[in-house]
Amino acid sequence: MHAVFWKCNIRNTCYYMLFLCLFCSSETVYECPDYRTAGENSCFFNKNNTSIWVNYNITVVATNTLGSTFSDPMDIDVVYIVKPNPPERLAVTVEEDKSWPFLRVSWEPPHKADTRSGWITLMYEIRVKLEQENKWEMHLAGQQKMFNIFSLRSGGSYLVQVRCKPDHGFWSEWSSTSYIEVPDYFPREKSVWILITVFSAFIFVILFWLLHMNSHSLKHCILPPVPGPKIKGFDKQLLKNGKSEEIFSALMVPDFPPTTSSNFEDLLVEYLEVYIPEGQELTLQESKDLHDGCLKSEGSTSDSDSGRGSCDSHTLLIDNCGEAKEEERQQDQERIGMEAQRHQKDWEEKVLNYAHEDIVSPDMSSGRVKTWPSVFSPLPQYSSNPPDQQSSLEMAKQHYLSDSLFLPDSSSTYLTQPGHSTRESLEPSYCEFRLSNKQPHQLHPQMQASQQLHMTHSDVNISSIGCKQAPAGLQSPDLRSTQYVEVQKVNKEDMVLLQPVGKGCRHIELCPKMPQGDNYSKVKGVNSDNILLLQRGVMEEDRCPCEDQETNGAREHSHTASTVTTTQKPTACIHTAMPVQDEIALAVNGYVDTAIMCTLPTY
Amino acid sequence: MESTRRKRKKQRGGEDTKADQEKKREMAQRKINGNKLFMTVLYAVAACGAVPISDLLDRASQRSDTLHSLSTMLTQDLDSHFPPIGRMIMPRPSMCHTSSLQTPNDKEQALQVSESDLMSLARSLLQAWSDPLEVLSTSVKTLPHPAQNSISNKIKELQEHSKSLGDGLNILSGKVRKWVRQAQTISSLPYSGGNDIGQDRISKLTNFHFLLSCFRRDSHKIDSFLKVLRCRAAKLQPEMC
Repeated sequence: MHAVFWKCNIRNTCYYMLFLCLFCSSETVYECPDYRTAGENSCFFNKNNTSIWVNYNITVVATNTLGSTFSDPMDIDVVYIVKPNPPERLAVTVEEDKSWPFLRVSWEPPHKADTRSGWITLMYEIRVKLEQENKWEMHLAGQQKMFNIFSLRSGGSYLVQVRCKPDHGFWSEWSSTSYIEVPDYFPREKSVWILITVFSAFIFVILFWLLHMNSHSLKHCILPPVPGPKIKGFDKQLLKNGKSEEIFSALMVPDFPPTTSSNFEDLLVEYLEVYIPEGQELTLQESKDLHDGCLKSEGSTSDSDSGRGSCDSHTLLIDNCGEAKEEERQQDQERIGMEAQRHQKDWEEKVLNYAHEDIVSPDMSSGRVKTWPSVFSPLPQYSSNPPDQQSSLEMAKQHYLSDSLFLPDSSSTYLTQPGHSTRESLEPSYCEFRLSNKQPHQLHPQMQASQQLHMTHSDVNISSIGCKQAPAGLQSPDLRSTQYVEVQKVNKEDMVLLQPVGKGCRHIELCPKMPQGDNYSKVKGVNSDNILLLQRGVMEEDRCPCEDQETNGAREHSHTASTVTTTQKPTACIHTAMPVQDEIALAVNGYVDTAIMCTLPTY
Repeated sequence: MESTRRKRKKQRGGEDTKADQEKKREMAQRKINGNKLFMTVLYAVAACGAVPISDLLDRASQRSDTLHSLSTMLTQDLDSHFPPIGRMIMPRPSMCHTSSLQTPNDKEQALQVSESDLMSLARSLLQAWSDPLEVLSTSVKTLPHPAQNSISNKIKELQEHSKSLGDGLNILSGKVRKWVRQAQTISSLPYSGGNDIGQDRISKLTNFHFLLSCFRRDSHKIDSFLKVLRCRAAKLQPEMC
C-alpha cells in the first residue's frame, strides 16, 4: 500500500483514504482512486470500482510529520445508500373537469435509473405552491408518473416540482420548477353576488327562526290580549254545555237580589245618611286624598277583574288610600256623611251598594266603625261578587279604621239592608256615595230602578246612595242622628247637587275635582242655618265658601237629629257660622267631636 | 313362462360374471377418469378466477420489501448502542452462511438470470434463514442491549414475515407452469452457528450484529430478485415498470 500525498493543508497534514473491499476477490486495502471529482476532502469511486452487495470498510487517515491517526471505519454496502437523479421532463397542464380546472402533472424517471427492468423501483413526490406564497403543498405520488391537482385558485399561477426515491435509498433533489397559470374560471363579480345572496338568505333564515321562536311574545307585544270579561261565578264550561239555567244560577248571589222585602222604594231613596254616634271618638277618617285617588282611578287600576277599576278594587284601595289613611289616622277625624260628595268621578250607584249589605255588614259585624267614605268601593256591580267585595271593602275599611273606634252600636253607621242579618244593628247609617264613571253594570232589576235617579253626565255616573233608614227603634238614644242628602241633580260641570232630604233645597255644589291633599274633615262650625261648615284641611281656611245646605227633606224620614249636610268642593271651604260654636268642642285638630255634634239642636 | 325367465336371469347373472367384471372395471375406470376430469375441471375453473401471477408477485415483493425495511431498522437500532470495540472484530461478511450460494453480483448479471432461477434463488435464501432467525429470537432475550425490547419485537416480526413470504413463494412456484416443470431446486444452506451466539457481552453483541447484517443483505437480494420478477411478469401493465 502506498499513500498518495495528494493534498496537504496548511498544517502539513494530509489525508488519504483507504478502503477494504470485504467481498472483493482479493482482500486488499485500496486507496481512494479519485480525490478530485467529488470536491475537496472527498473520494470518488466510479462505477467500475464499486460492487453491490459488498461491504466496504473505509477509513480516513490523517498524517503529518508527527504521525498519523486513523478514523473510525465505516462499513457500508453501496446498495443501501442509493440517491437517484431527479425526475426529468416535468410537464404541467391545465385540464378541465366540468368547468372546474385542475392541474395535470407528468414526468419521467431519471434516465440513469433503470426502472424498466425493475432493478430500481422509484417513488415520486410532488410539491406545488402559489407564486406569492411561501408554503409548499406536498403530494406523494407513489410509483405513478402522473398526478392531478385540484382545488385551484382561479387566476393563480403555480410552481410545481417533483423528486424521487428508490425503495431503500435517499430522496433525490427537486427537479426544475415548472410554472403554470390557471385561468379565471370564477368571475369575481359573480362570486360576490353569490356570496351576498347566500349571506342574506342565511340572515333571513335566522330572523325567521327567531321570529318564530318569539312569535308568542311578539303577539303579546303587538296585539296585547284583550282581557275578557271575568264574571266571578261565571263558568265557561257551563256556558259551553249550554245550560243557561245553570249559568245564571251560578251567577246568582244567594242573597242577591234581596228577595225579602226590601221595599223597592227604599232602594230608590237617595239619602245620604250621616250618623254621628256620640260618646265615642269617632275618627272620621276622611281621606279626601283617598277619595280622590279612589274616585279618580278608573283606569289606573290593574285589577284583573275588568270593569272594576275604581275604588272597589282591592289593590286600589290599598295603594291609593294607604297614604291618606295614614294621614287620617293621625288625625282625629270626624265622620261626616257628606264625604260622599267628594268627587264626582267615581260615583257609583249607591243603591247597589246599599243593596249589598255584605259590603257594609262586615264593618258592622266587626263592631268597628269604619269610615265609609274612605271606602269608596265601587258598587258591586257583579252580583256574584259580594263576598269578594265584602272582603275588599272590609280590608279597605279596616285600613281606615280609627283606632279607637269601636262602637258596638255603631252599626247604625252603616248601610243597612233590609232583611239582612245586620238588621239587628240597623241604624241609620252612612250611605256610601260612590262616584263612578262607569256604566253601571247589570244590575238587578231592583237596582236598576234606582238608577233612574242617577244622572249620568257623559261618563260620570253619579249614584246616590240611598240609605235605608233603620227603624227608629234601633236608633240609639239621642246620640244618633242621621241626615239624608238626596241628589238633586247633576249639573253640567259634573257637579252633584245635593240637598238634604226634607229640609230644604239648597244647592250643593260639588266640584268636580278635588285637589289632593284637601281634607275636609274639619268642621269649622255649624251656622245658624244648620249648615255644617267644613274647613279644608289644616292649611287653608276660609277659602272658598261652600255652603252646606240644609236638607230640605224632599223626602221625609222619621229621623230626626241634626242634619248635617256636606258639600264638597275641592277648593272650597265650608264656612259656616257657628251659632253653637261654643258647644262645639273642636278637637285638637279642628275636628268636631261628633259626640258633641249630636247634641246640636236639630233643625 | 315366468319361471323360465327367472331362470334365465339367474343364469345370466351367474354366467356373466366375467363380462360383468370387465364391465365393472370399465365403469370404475370411467368413474375415476370422470372424477379426475371433474377435479381438473374444478381446478381449471378455480384457476381461471384465481389471482393473476403478477398480482401474486406484487404481493410477494411488497412482503419482501417490508422484510428488508425491518432488518434495516434492526441494524440501526443495534448500531446506536454498539460498542465501538465490536467494530474492530467484526467478522467478515464472507463468513455469512449463505455466501456459498451463487448469486448475481451486479445488475447486468442479475438481469440475465432466468426467472425460474431468480425464484429459486429467492426461495433458497429465504429457506436458509428460517433456522438462524430462530436462534436470534431465542438469544435476543438475553441480549445485553438497552433497546432489547424493541429488538425482540422486531425479531418476532421478522420471523412472521419471513414465514409468510416463504409460504407465498411456495404457492407461487406451484402456480407457474414453467417453474413447476423445471422443478426448482432449493439449495440447502445449513446454519452452522449452533444455538449459541456467545457467552460474554461483546461476543453476543458482535455475533448478533453480524447475523443481522448478513440477513439484511440477503433480504435485499430477495427483494431485488422478486421485484425484477414482478416487472417481468407485468408485461401487460407497462406503467408499473
